[in-house]
Amino acid sequence: MSNPSPYKVPDGLFYTKEHEWARVTGGTARVGITDYAAKTLNDIVYLTLPAVGKEVKQLASFGTVESIKAVSELYAPLSGTVVGTNQELTNHPELINQSPYDAGWIIELKHSMLDAERKTLLSPSQYEEFLKSLDAEHQN
Amino acid sequence: MATTKTSKHTSLYEFHRTHGKMVEFAGYDMPIWYTSTMEEHMAVRNRAGIFDVSHMGRVDVTGPDAAGFIENLFPTGIGKQPNGKSVYTLLLNEDAGIVDDLIVLKVEEGKYLLVVNAASKEKDLRHMERVGAGLNFKVDDITEATTMIAVQGPSAVEALQPLTPLPLAEMKRFTHAFSTVKGIRSVITRTGYTGEDGFEIIVHDAASGAMAVWEALMKGATPCALGARDSLRLEAGLPLYGSDMDEATNPLEADLAWVLSKDKRSYVGWQRLSSLMEQGPARVRRGIVMDERIPRHGFKVTDKAGEDIGVVTSGTFSPVLKRGIAMGYVKTPSPQLGDAVKVVVRDAPSDGKIAKMPFYDDSVYGWKRKPHQQ
Repeated sequence: MSNPSPYKVPDGLFYTKEHEWARVTGGTARVGITDYAAKTLNDIVYLTLPAVGKEVKQLASFGTVESIKAVSELYAPLSGTVVGTNQELTNHPELINQSPYDAGWIIELKHSMLDAERKTLLSPSQYEEFLKSLDAEHQN
Repeated sequence: MATTKTSKHTSLYEFHRTHGKMVEFAGYDMPIWYTSTMEEHMAVRNRAGIFDVSHMGRVDVTGPDAAGFIENLFPTGIGKQPNGKSVYTLLLNEDAGIVDDLIVLKVEEGKYLLVVNAASKEKDLRHMERVGAGLNFKVDDITEATTMIAVQGPSAVEALQPLTPLPLAEMKRFTHAFSTVKGIRSVITRTGYTGEDGFEIIVHDAASGAMAVWEALMKGATPCALGARDSLRLEAGLPLYGSDMDEATNPLEADLAWVLSKDKRSYVGWQRLSSLMEQGPARVRRGIVMDERIPRHGFKVTDKAGEDIGVVTSGTFSPVLKRGIAMGYVKTPSPQLGDAVKVVVRDAPSDGKIAKMPFYDDSVYGWKRKPHQQ
């Protein structure tokens, strides 16, 4: 299939197969869910977020995101300490649908094992390939 | 989410596939949303929406013994109803367990059209065969030969009227009539599953004309999918068969005693029901509104002290209330309207209150709303 992916996958981010992204800036990383995840969940209406100061482990659940229909776990792309959460989301969870990579960021981490863990994450092109493989499964 | 090869398609499948996110539901490939469940939900509350409900079972019952059979089958007196009534009722087993909930269209004495849940249809047909053994009547499954579209919302009359000569504004709720829609022979019933005013139309010659009807309706109404259908019915306090009731649930527990005709003594399940009525139900279906958090199917309900009192059977986020809402079963004596309860959301007991259903203010939303008010 040579169709372009209908989902945005910006450069410069790390991705997980659970559809989270991480944008590393110096010692911290912002974390959110991908355009694919936001579009698949549809209408995000509620989040549970960790307290600032909480330690999170790579690929462990750090919270939940809920649509009208369902609940999904949020998995940390990197280990570290939560240094901030996006307060705007409390009253405007739909920011995640509108702007999953910018205004809809979810938490900020002080990462603790970036060098070891970045190798286990997907590059933008690897994540695009992964999305295509999911799409192919659904066509069968 | 993968769809199976054996899933059936309705006659509007091409529209769904090209415009919606598809899921498998009760053996059919159906859309879960087109654009957004939230937008579709509010379109129905504020204007009008259309739903393909062709997956629901449609069964004609006719014949010399049909009237007697129907009277024995249902706890609601159908015989005393005038022709043209559409009656919400239940199929019960001998233990008064709910086999299905459905609408019975009384076309005339001896001629009925039953609209049943998609996932229950085969079971319902077997149940009817057992109950009607030895009687002279005929059951015709017309599901595949027809298309069923729900037109729901305060502008439903305006959306549907251009397509039919039937004077819709004159129809009473829970009545039906035979007419045409875009020239195609159809049944139009003033019923629905959203809490709003509206119609369900059963269009014959499904394959040829259904898409033209759907496209014509889109001029006055928004296409809505299963996600909105579920959030709308839950906000309206309407139970979903298979989630909120099943054969282990009786009508008193389900808070559906109003469908039992008081003067009826002879129907399947009556004997058991009469003793249940003396005892009273051990648990009852109630609504819960949350302060925060979203309740989901299977979550525990406790009293404010933390003692287990029941379980959530359906939960969602209410687009109108902007809060989590649920229906579920609590043991009797049940908490009263406004009483504090807790729903255990993933190990976190979360505050809520027992609430009336429909959950919305019915002077502002729903079919009872005051005219010209949003």
